[in-house]
Amino acid sequence: MTLDLTAALQTYTVESQELLEEMERALLALEAGREDPDLIDAIFRSAHTIKGSSGMFGLDAVVAFAHEVETLLEAVRSGQQPIDATLVTLLLRCHDHIAALVHSTLDEDAPADLLAQGDALTAQLHAWLGGAPGDNRTSDDAWHISLRCGQELFRDGMDPLSILRYLGTLGELISVTTLDDALPHAERMDPTSCYLGFEIDLKTEADKQEIDSAFEFIRESSQVHLIPPGSKPAQWAELIQALPEGHDKLGEILVSTGVLTRHELAAAMGIQVIDSPAKPLGDILVEQGLAPREAVNAALGRQMHAGRTAGERYVRVEADKLDRLVDLVGELVISSTVTTLRASHSNDRALQEAVATSSRFIEEVRDAALGLRMVPIGGTFSRFQRVVHDLSQELGKHIELVISGGETELDKTVVDRIGDPLTHLVRNAIDHAIESPEERQAAGKNPLGRLQLNAHHENGSILIELSDDGRGLDRQRIANKAIERGLIDSADGLSDQDVFQLIFAPGFSTAEQVSNLSGRGVGMDVVKRTIEDLRGTVELENRPGQGATVRLRMPLTLAIIDGFLVSVGDARYVVPLDTVEECMELGEVGRRDYLDLRGEVLPFLRLRDLLRDTTETPARQSVVVVSYAGKKAGLVVDRLLGELQTVIKPLGEVFSALKWISGCTVLDVGQVGLILDVPVLVDQAERREATSGHLTAALR
Amino acid sequence: MTRETSTESGQEKAQYLIFNLRGEPFAIPLLGVKEIIEYGSVTPIPGMPEFIRGVINLRGRVVPVIDLAARFGEPPTVIGERTCVVIVELHEETGVQDMGIVVDGVNAVSDIPASDLEPPPKFGAKIRVDFIQGMWKSQDRFVIVLDQARVLSVQEINQLAALVEDTQMA
Repeated sequence: MTLDLTAALQTYTVESQELLEEMERALLALEAGREDPDLIDAIFRSAHTIKGSSGMFGLDAVVAFAHEVETLLEAVRSGQQPIDATLVTLLLRCHDHIAALVHSTLDEDAPADLLAQGDALTAQLHAWLGGAPGDNRTSDDAWHISLRCGQELFRDGMDPLSILRYLGTLGELISVTTLDDALPHAERMDPTSCYLGFEIDLKTEADKQEIDSAFEFIRESSQVHLIPPGSKPAQWAELIQALPEGHDKLGEILVSTGVLTRHELAAAMGIQVIDSPAKPLGDILVEQGLAPREAVNAALGRQMHAGRTAGERYVRVEADKLDRLVDLVGELVISSTVTTLRASHSNDRALQEAVATSSRFIEEVRDAALGLRMVPIGGTFSRFQRVVHDLSQELGKHIELVISGGETELDKTVVDRIGDPLTHLVRNAIDHAIESPEERQAAGKNPLGRLQLNAHHENGSILIELSDDGRGLDRQRIANKAIERGLIDSADGLSDQDVFQLIFAPGFSTAEQVSNLSGRGVGMDVVKRTIEDLRGTVELENRPGQGATVRLRMPLTLAIIDGFLVSVGDARYVVPLDTVEECMELGEVGRRDYLDLRGEVLPFLRLRDLLRDTTETPARQSVVVVSYAGKKAGLVVDRLLGELQTVIKPLGEVFSALKWISGCTVLDVGQVGLILDVPVLVDQAERREATSGHLTAALR
Repeated sequence: MTRETSTESGQEKAQYLIFNLRGEPFAIPLLGVKEIIEYGSVTPIPGMPEFIRGVINLRGRVVPVIDLAARFGEPPTVIGERTCVVIVELHEETGVQDMGIVVDGVNAVSDIPASDLEPPPKFGAKIRVDFIQGMWKSQDRFVIVLDQARVLSVQEINQLAALVEDTQMA
């Protein structure tokens, strides 16, 4: 086949991954004790669909393994095989194996160890079924399949060969007859059209639905007829009538492949004339007793459902294109502000109204554009079901994970990058926070530990909370460890929050026994770093003996910042609003750079000095009080210009050495404003004074 | 990339933008030049080497502006009537980067055959030798043809900026 399959294969892997996720969710729900036949159906459906689409691509390894899983699931579904925790665990491993197989299709053939692993799992699956896969469906006769390919088949990226190949995996192909009747004369033939038809006899244990699934992707364009083994002549008649080739020819083929005897054929031809082919297929099926009415209705219902979801399908867009759009819309907002400003200076009322209308739309466009980058966090959350399942089993703990607020939407970048830090926090909670069932019982708690993941909006940011009902944070233990590690000299005078924040210091670990799960002391500092890189903050809430809550406060979007605009000399700077506590006038201060903030000593930084501004210092200056991670400081600026919402732009490679600038923005006057990175500014000031403050002072 | 073959003479030649800097003519390859704009609204960035004048907003893109005179170790350019910013496109390893260079005035666009380029003098130009791609004799005086990649090396600017940052910290 000369068509490029890469794109189709990519779609296949993405779809398979989605199906696998659904399968995993269902398995975990089963394990959590939900006894719902729908769940088993969902698992079965996932495995089945993966098998079907894998067959289309000739991915035999996936098809073969998925088939084994499906066989076992079939037994479960029919009630022959009760499902329990061990079986779920096995199925989860099978799920992982399918995922690995699907993943490996993107590279080369499945690696040998993967296949070996598959064999081992297959053996286990067989063991569950007590020997060979069940032969409850007995039929010596073969199914007869008539396939008339639609002309579009090749152009749709399909290949009858792969369908035959897939049918081959379902059972034994007894005979395949190719029909070329539809082939036009050479001069009228289009080589990209498919003119072929096939008459196939298949000996299989698969049921009708399974065989039918082989034709799932071509059913719209092609004609497919399935005749079950041992069918009545009427059905053959139906078939012969429905097919475009001459009756005689078809009859001959059927006879020659041994499906029909001459006698049966004659009987079929007799009925043929009477029967009306215009009836809906469903009616015919019911009439002929082929399928119960409910089944037909159900099938029709499903078709309608499939049609509806297809309508809501997602469009996959390159992230770069999206970013460019958001960027442009940001520019549009800025230039519209200028237009509004100009219009307001003119006396043209009609113009002002027109500008107001368009700027309202522009704002809506901006919101919509930013909304494109937003994805629900639920997908990331549900991944943790598995982490909790595996880890708690490994540690002999009983833990349930309760998820809420999964529909909360966050910037795609945040969702992508928050997975790892969250995993670490979840692992930590399971490993350290939640006690063993015995300990919990002794403490009078429910032996079943509880982890809660929750997301919701709060004050223009997103709050992600991870709560456990474990032992809580031990101030004394953390303090001791921090002293031991040389992080602090003494915990005296430190607030609880200060002590707890030590957990996030590099090289800190309180686990007395280092387990292979967490407690390697790497991680918590990385967690904090990652969150801060995403302009988020980490807070801890402790309930001694009752558990703890980690709160991650994340910005709604990374593309826009709420800022506070200040000026120093001719330059303007943006202080991120979430760090701003309050503003005040800089009154009389002495030589020392601190002031009295309602009885509190507030050190301040003179931005003029830091930025080496040479313009004349104005008579009155202001202080912006900023705080982060419990530290407070003042920034002395010339003028306060008020709040603004603005699009963040990177400052570019050239300025990467400037750590205290987190980006820049184009202000409404067309000037560039720099966005200050408050934590870096304050930390740098602290370090400067700690190391060499007195030295430079002495040299002055 | 900056060269195009002329079939008439069978000789390699390229177009160069000739500009003035403190009364002296310099040249850079025309191919990388995107546009030339009036000098104005440059936002200074503190904590950078002196030759970085700041950034400008070029239709929504933030572009750094380099003072070439200061880059050569001379006093910074005094802004005058004819001062302008030449926007050039640099192809760095990390991607395409636009950069503006402050010049005292743009003179001409000239075809310079590769064979007419003299090697730079070993000393005497008072400009780092590696900044000079060659010398071109135009009428009665030498034009210094700059090695744009070296003069505007983002990597070097980064290192210098880090140095400035370090000394400020100390």
